Amino acid sequence: MTSPAVEIRGLSKTFGVKTVLDSVELTVPPGEIHVLLGQNGSGKSTLIKILSGYHHPDPGGMVRVGGHGLQFGSPASSRALGCRFVHQDLGLVESSSVLDNLLIGPGFPTSAGTIRRGAAARVARAALARVGLDTDPAALVGALGSAERTGVAIARAMLAEDGTPPVALILDEPTAALPVNEVDQLLANLRATAATGAAILYVTHYIDEVTGFADRVSVLRNGVLVATWHVPDLDRDRLIHQLIGAELEQVQRLETPHADTRAKPPVLEATSLRAGPLEGLSLDAWAGEVTGICGLTGSGRESLLGALFGARPRAGEVRVAGQVLKPHRTDLAIEAGLAYLPPDRRASGGVMDMTAGENVTLVNLRPFWRRMLLRKKLEKAEVAGWFEKLDVRPKDGISDPLNTFSGGNQQKLLFAKWLRETPKVLLLDEPTQGVDVGAKAELHRQILATAKQGAAVIVSSTDLDELVTLCSRVLVIRDGRILDEIAGDDLTTRTLNRSFHLEPAAAGSSGDEHA
Amino acid sequence: MRKTRLNIGLDRFSGLYLWAAFILVFGFWVPDLFLSMSTVHLIASTQAVSAIIALAVLVPMICGQYDLSVGANANLTGMVAIVLQVKQHWPLLPTLLVSIAIGLAVGAVNGFVVVRFRVNSFIATLGMGSVLTALMLLVTNSQDEPVPLSAGWNNMTQYPVFGFQVIIYYLLAIVLIAWWVVEFTPVGRQMRAAGGNPEAARLSGIRINRLSWWSLVAAGGISGLGGILYTSLTGPSLTFGPDLLLPAFAAVFLGSTQLQPGRFNVWGTMLAIFVLATGVEGLQLVSGAVWVGDMFNGVALILAVALAASRRGKPIAVRRRAIKTAADRPQEADDPAPVQDTAQVGRVA
Repeated sequence: MTSPAVEIRGLSKTFGVKTVLDSVELTVPPGEIHVLLGQNGSGKSTLIKILSGYHHPDPGGMVRVGGHGLQFGSPASSRALGCRFVHQDLGLVESSSVLDNLLIGPGFPTSAGTIRRGAAARVARAALARVGLDTDPAALVGALGSAERTGVAIARAMLAEDGTPPVALILDEPTAALPVNEVDQLLANLRATAATGAAILYVTHYIDEVTGFADRVSVLRNGVLVATWHVPDLDRDRLIHQLIGAELEQVQRLETPHADTRAKPPVLEATSLRAGPLEGLSLDAWAGEVTGICGLTGSGRESLLGALFGARPRAGEVRVAGQVLKPHRTDLAIEAGLAYLPPDRRASGGVMDMTAGENVTLVNLRPFWRRMLLRKKLEKAEVAGWFEKLDVRPKDGISDPLNTFSGGNQQKLLFAKWLRETPKVLLLDEPTQGVDVGAKAELHRQILATAKQGAAVIVSSTDLDELVTLCSRVLVIRDGRILDEIAGDDLTTRTLNRSFHLEPAAAGSSGDEHA
Repeated sequence: MRKTRLNIGLDRFSGLYLWAAFILVFGFWVPDLFLSMSTVHLIASTQAVSAIIALAVLVPMICGQYDLSVGANANLTGMVAIVLQVKQHWPLLPTLLVSIAIGLAVGAVNGFVVVRFRVNSFIATLGMGSVLTALMLLVTNSQDEPVPLSAGWNNMTQYPVFGFQVIIYYLLAIVLIAWWVVEFTPVGRQMRAAGGNPEAARLSGIRINRLSWWSLVAAGGISGLGGILYTSLTGPSLTFGPDLLLPAFAAVFLGSTQLQPGRFNVWGTMLAIFVLATGVEGLQLVSGAVWVGDMFNGVALILAVALAASRRGKPIAVRRRAIKTAADRPQEADDPAPVQDTAQVGRVA
């Protein structure tokens, strides 16, 4: 029998007095896709850093790659043994072609110092084919979708420069930035890669989409590898239990729409909205309801909430509580009662080098403006209340820059920023993307509580489970228009998934689902 | 609780230590020349204008906008004040009002070009600087004018109060106002947000264009004032403006590593101005060389920006250290610093 691709025995790591990894044992045979699940702080990053030769583990541990012992603390040894890594930040140059991105590391085939274009393209095409991609090597990386970019990064990692193919591919949170409907493509790439005989260790904190395609799943909690399952035997509830060490309180969606919420006029009315791919879309939203927006990338789903808020240019009319909003004027939109959580925390959500507290209070500083001074004690007291309410960790981090917080906690802080305003309409774009399960449940509870208190909430998400969990109705968008509205018992991930593929003509008949 | 509070502040207060070191070294080296009140007064009044110009750079910088026209703006307004008095025989007050209005107008044009035409502020104000120099040469006919023979004009900056020339108190007033606006008003907070992440600031309801515009107007007004004070203090010159620009930038960047590290801040900038000036003054007393000032300021600017760049990401390191020793905080122990990690792999690949 061949030796396992990756074999980890008795691996521990302590930083000072804190044990980050505690006698981890893990074996991954060639060709297996192994998902390693863990919350933030479970020790998964440390494990990766030991495999990549960045950290020295405590004495006594052993790692073998393809049967050969890994020399700890040596990135060169890790690479020589055939370990390859793809990180969440893929490290691709967007303005360069796929070909240049693939070959910049290993080097271009040259003759007399000049790149041999034909040969280079052949190498690139072969590398792409190995991971199941038929991307044109001349295409710019910036023009590719997220999944395809991840595929290119995998292809680059798997390039066998000296003829010996890599033994193990380790992916660190590759789906954090990936829309759900593009995960299938990544999955296909990974399957193709595994078929070449490489072991794949897929490290993530995001349980929903990844467990479906793995061969086995392991859970790391507080540095201990608590369980390993073969995927067919997997039980989602037990998995979550193992992952967070406690039962997750089930989030219950509101029983709406009902007569109560619809008795009043809609608080948000948008008519003939045009922005990007949106072509004259109209929609209403009622106080006390959570409305979901789903649609494939390019359908107009990504543009809708930003256009309503005025984050992106729009034509058409938007009214909040009867009052017409000026496009482009986010300050007036906020005054009218709109709140908008953008999908990308780093790019447009938070000011990463301002403190957590300053981010929370940015929208409205009036309560702290007394006698010509900003009263920072008042401000901190209010922010501390939000830290408490949303369980933001670390609790004493009010004056720390936002970028020192984990993704889930950053998102909680940005939630607090808008909940502070008690908005009439809360627009949430991908509210839990790249957030761990614990934080996700907390955010979901807050979303429902906000709706219950009388806000109209609109959630745009690629996470269909999330839409089903939260929404009383979901609007399906295609080609810039609302194709269908799904509500009540019809609202399941299955119907949502099918709605993507419905013909527009058949859209109205989605009711025959349960026939 | 935080480690930075416990240590002696080598990091945040390094400027103060450096200042002390300069004073000690030059104090021992040339005690008669350096350790005198006249040196203190000299540094205070000659640096007052530099410090005002540094504030003019600082305000738009917090908003994320460069203003490279502050030096040329100061030179133009300073010389306009001279020309109005000497050639047009204007009295002092209207001269001051018109000159400052010119400074403000220059800032408004900068803002217009940056906001409306979406020209990068670096380019817009670089070009504006050249335009202003040309205007100044037009206005003055390329000739140094004589000093206006008005006692009020000279006393405006040179009148001694408690031993110091009065200009230093103007500086103090402007510093206090700038400090108040930047640190203790909602506008200051919004400026920081606009500088830190313009898109996030805009989506938080902050009118970033208006803020940028006003910050450039403020910069124009402050540098206009600085220019008038310069010609009142030192006399007319066709070339003083450009010499003010570089020390101002050096101070603003060096200042961002001081007192509130990682942020452009008012007192850090002031500290930097006077530390640099003390160093330059001391070296000039020791060596008598003319080139010392340029060399010192240039090196300081480059070092300051390098220091500011290496500081980025420091808060994470502090936090990690704190966590490793605090067993009650299991969160995130191994999650920060993914950047480091990618760099690592990148190097290997």
